Amino acid sequence: MKKEKEQIDLLLRQNESEQLAGVNWNRLQTSISKRLNQADRDKTSMMSYRRVFKIAAGIATAAAVVFIAVMIKTDMLTTARFENGPKVIGTFVASQGSAKVKILDSNEQTNQGKDQPTWIIIRTSEPQVVDNGQSRDENDFACLM
Amino acid sequence: MNGIPKENAGDIERLVEASQAGDRGSFDGLVALYQRRAMQVAVRMLGDADEAAEAVQNGFVKAYLSISRLREPKRFESWFFRIIANTAISQRRAGKNRTEKIKIAGDCENKKAFSPEDREAGKELKEAIQHAMLKLSKKQAQAIALFGIKDLPQDEVAEIMGCSAKAVRWHVFKARQKLKVLLKDYLE
Repeated sequence: MKKEKEQIDLLLRQNESEQLAGVNWNRLQTSISKRLNQADRDKTSMMSYRRVFKIAAGIATAAAVVFIAVMIKTDMLTTARFENGPKVIGTFVASQGSAKVKILDSNEQTNQGKDQPTWIIIRTSEPQVVDNGQSRDENDFACLM
Repeated sequence: MNGIPKENAGDIERLVEASQAGDRGSFDGLVALYQRRAMQVAVRMLGDADEAAEAVQNGFVKAYLSISRLREPKRFESWFFRIIANTAISQRRAGKNRTEKIKIAGDCENKKAFSPEDREAGKELKEAIQHAMLKLSKKQAQAIALFGIKDLPQDEVAEIMGCSAKAVRWHVFKARQKLKVLLKDYLE
């Protein structure tokens, strides 16, 4: 067993000697030096990338903060505006006294999710059916006009 | 041992500390001091000089990039050989960078001293050892490679491998057992 152990070690050592005998040490050292130079360059460029990334991240964060602040402020203004109710430009009351037509300022409604540039809300209650000879439809028509 | 200069521990420690402070020249000094022994370890693990040179170069780059994190400069040697051994193991497994490696061996005067028959026999032995080393486990390959380095004491091998000296001897024993079978054609 001891002999075999020695023989194995001898084989490994023999191969090691043969392989190392062919090594050009100066070339290896030059090659290592080149790799280290490359590592230095990579490290420097990585550091500059990190710096650029940090600046970009800072700008993006600042922009996000400003955006959120503006959104919150806009939302508060809108809420305040609607708290006062939509602005009524004009009111027409039909002669029958049972319906109202309001023309609203469209600028006051932009945050209600409506697409129409201007719109009219017709709020009408059940027309009073009076015994004056007019039909209910005629009464509604009068309201719309 | 291939004419490796015997530096005293204090000099190496100073070179390590200067390298940690960012002195490239000092690290080049460490390269000059350790490249031969690093090649020895890598050749024993990989069997081939060009493969070993690739592992050594990668190992030196890893050491260079992480030397600032080495807490005890006096432990540089075991720390460095652990990097070389692990790099060689990774390379052995991945078999990568085979096309990119630089031809380090093959045109030296010493190589020409071998006769064609010797070179042919050497090539055959190299391939057999490469093949056999691939059959060993990571620990066995590391143990047999490091154990064979003459001026690397057993307790240092154990430190490099992160196990006890007894465990190192066990791995060496098992590695030899496997190599005995795998290299039987070359044993008398």
